[in-house]
Amino acid sequence: MTSLELDSVTKVFQDGDDEIVAVDDVSLTIDDGEFLVVVGPSGCGKSTTLRMVAGLESITSGSISLGGEVINDVKAQHRDIAMVFQSYALYPHLTVGGNMSFGLEESTDLSDGEINERVEEAANMMGIGKLLDRKPSDLSGGQRQRVALGRAIVRDPSVFLMDEPLSNLDAKLRSQMRTELQRLQEDLGVTTMYVTHDQTEAMTMGDRIAILDDGKLQQVATPLECYHRPANQFVAGFIGEPPMNFFDVTREDDVLVGEAFEYAISQDIVDELGATSDLVLGVRPEDVKLVGEATDVHDFQMTVDVVEPMGDTNTVHLFYGESGLRADGGNGATETTAESAPIGAGEEGAQNKLIAAISGMQRVQSGDRIAARIPEETIHVFDGDTGKALHNRDFDEEATIQQPLN
Amino acid sequence: MTAERTTAETGGTSTDDDSRGGASSGFLGDGIDGYRIGLYAILLGLVAFYLTPLEAGLVTSLKTSTGVAETLPFAPPIFGEFAMDSWIQAFDTLGRGLLNSALYTVPATVMSAFIGSIAAYGLTQANWKRRYKAVILALFVAGIFIPYQAVLVPVTRFWSNYAQIEGLLAPLWMLGIDRDYTALVELMVTTTAYGIPICTVLFRSYYKNMSEEMIESARLDGASLRRVYRRIILPLSKPMFAVVLIYQFTQIWNDLLFALVLVQSTSSAAAPSVLILSGLGVSQEGTNFALQMAGALITALPTIAVFLLFTDEFSEGMAT
Repeated sequence: MTSLELDSVTKVFQDGDDEIVAVDDVSLTIDDGEFLVVVGPSGCGKSTTLRMVAGLESITSGSISLGGEVINDVKAQHRDIAMVFQSYALYPHLTVGGNMSFGLEESTDLSDGEINERVEEAANMMGIGKLLDRKPSDLSGGQRQRVALGRAIVRDPSVFLMDEPLSNLDAKLRSQMRTELQRLQEDLGVTTMYVTHDQTEAMTMGDRIAILDDGKLQQVATPLECYHRPANQFVAGFIGEPPMNFFDVTREDDVLVGEAFEYAISQDIVDELGATSDLVLGVRPEDVKLVGEATDVHDFQMTVDVVEPMGDTNTVHLFYGESGLRADGGNGATETTAESAPIGAGEEGAQNKLIAAISGMQRVQSGDRIAARIPEETIHVFDGDTGKALHNRDFDEEATIQQPLN
Repeated sequence: MTAERTTAETGGTSTDDDSRGGASSGFLGDGIDGYRIGLYAILLGLVAFYLTPLEAGLVTSLKTSTGVAETLPFAPPIFGEFAMDSWIQAFDTLGRGLLNSALYTVPATVMSAFIGSIAAYGLTQANWKRRYKAVILALFVAGIFIPYQAVLVPVTRFWSNYAQIEGLLAPLWMLGIDRDYTALVELMVTTTAYGIPICTVLFRSYYKNMSEEMIESARLDGASLRRVYRRIILPLSKPMFAVVLIYQFTQIWNDLLFALVLVQSTSSAAAPSVLILSGLGVSQEGTNFALQMAGALITALPTIAVFLLFTDEFSEGMAT
C-alpha cells in the first residue's frame, strides 16, 4: 500500500530577515492508486508542496509519509518517487533510451537485459518505441513530453509527481495528452500527485482536487463536489469557467439586499445563514436562465451588454438597470472574462453585472432588455468576512452522476 | 612599419574591390553593398595586422645571418640566404625543454581544469547554505587577482622551507632521474593551484546556466551527487573543458615567472622550454635573430596544436 500522507506540512522561506510562508499547515492523504490534482493560482505554494514530497525542498515543519513511513529525512534519490517536470528536464547528451534507462541504472540492480526490456516496454506504451536512438534535441515538444512520462513510468515508482507537465504543449496536443495521461494512470494504478494551474485539467483528470490559495489548503474533494459544494468563496470563484457571479449583500430578514437588487430567500436558507448578515451571494453563469419577462420574484430585468458566442453556449454579459453604467461597464466586464481573473469577475465595481451562460441556440443581442432568472435552488451564500460557504446549491450526487446514463 | 605597408597594400586592393563592387551592384542590383565591402576590407586589414609579425618571424628563422642583416624582416629569404640551420639548432637546444614543459604543463592543465570543474559543481548544484557558498566563491575570485609577483617569494620559501618534497620523491631518483626534476613537480603543483580559481569561476558560470530541473530529475532518478557529476555534468561540460584546457595550457606553457624562480638555471636538466628560450641566441657576438625566431616558433607550436585539437568544442564553449 503506497498512500501518500501530508501531515500539517509547512514551508517557510527565509528572505533576509523576512519569513515567507509558502505552504501553510497543509494536511492531505492520497490513497493508493489515487489521482490527486493540486490546483491553485500561481504562487499559491502548490509546486513547493510537490517539491517537498519529492525531497527537493526541505520541510519546515510537519511530516510527509509514504506507505506509512515518514520520509522527511529520506534523501530525494532514495524516495521511491518519479517526477515529471514542466520543462521535461531530459538529459540532452543521452538518447531517448539512455534517458529512460538512467533511473533504472542508478536506482536498481537490474541487469542490462532487463533494463532494456523494461525501457522498450515503456517506450512502446508511450508510442515512442521507434525514437529510442534519437537525442532529445531531435524530438518535437509532444515527443519530449512522452519521453519525460516514459522516463517516469519505466521506473515503476510508488508515486508519480507531475509539475504542470502539459503546460508547454499546444492546446490540441494538451487535451489529447490529458486523456492519454488519465488512461495511463488508471492502467498503472500508481498514486499520482499532479500540480496544475489549469482548472480544466483539475476538473477532468483528478479523482479528487486539492485547491490551494496562499499556501493554505482550501478544499479537498471530488471535482463535482468542489464545483457544486465549494467550501468557500475562493473555491467557488476558482473552479468554473466563466467564473461564478458574486454580489455583496446584507440580509434583512428573508431578503438579501444588494446594491442593485433584492433577492428573497426561503426560511430554510435563512436558518443556514444564522446570525451573519454581511454576505456574498453567488450564482454560476450556467444556472442563470434568461426569460422574456420578469414573472417570478427571482427574475430581474436586465440589459444585455456583450454576447460571446462559443458555439455550444453563449456567454452573455448583463447589467442591471437600463443604461448609465454601460460605457465603463462594457469594457470592464469583457476584460475580466477575457483575462481569466478566476476570482469572481463580479467582485469589484461590478455589483450590477451578471454573467449568464445560455444554450448556443438561444439568441440574444447586445442591448436587448431581458429578464434573468436566478433560481433559488442554485444560489450559494458565503460569509462576507471569512468567505466560508454558508449555503450551497442543491446537489444530489447520485442524481447528478446517474443522469448521463439515462 | 611592416604592418603599415601591408595594410596599405590591402587598402589598395580593397579600393579595387570597391569599384568592382560598385559596378556589379549596378548590374545585379543586390548582393554586394558598400557595408560588406567595408567589412571585408577591415577584416583583411586585421588579418594582415596579426599575421605580419608571425610571417616576419617565420621568414627570419629561415635566413642565414647575412640574410637577416641585409633584407627586410618580412621579405622572404632569397636563394643563397635560405637556411634550415637555425631550426635544427633550436630544436636541438629546446628538445629537452619541450619535453620538460609538457611533463608539468599537461598534468597541471588537466588537474586544474578537473578540480575547477568539481569545485564549481559544489558551488552551484550541490545543496548547502548559499551564504557559505558566497564566501568560498569570493575566495576563488580573489585568487584570480593575486598577481604572480606578489607570491614569488612566498612560493620559493614554501617549497624550500616548508614543503621539501625532494625526499618524498626518492623512488624517482633511484630510477636514475635527475634530482632537478623536483622543481618540475613543484612547478606542476604551483601552476595547478594558481589555475584552479579561474577554472572554477569559468565552470561556475557554465553550471549556473544548466537546467536545475535536469539535475533534480537525475537526483530523483536515484543518482547520488557524485553520480550526477559523473553521468550528467561531466559529459555536458565538454565545450567548457575545451575552453579551459586551451586557456590553461597556453597560460602554463608560456609562464616564465614560476619557472624562473623554481627551476632557476637554464642549464638545469629540468629546464622548461620557456626558460631555455629566454637565453637562446644571446651571446657576446650579438643576437642570433634567426635562432631566436626558430626557437620561439617551436615553443609556440604545442599551444597551436592544442587549439586546433579542440577547435569545435572551443567555439561551442565560447558560444554558451
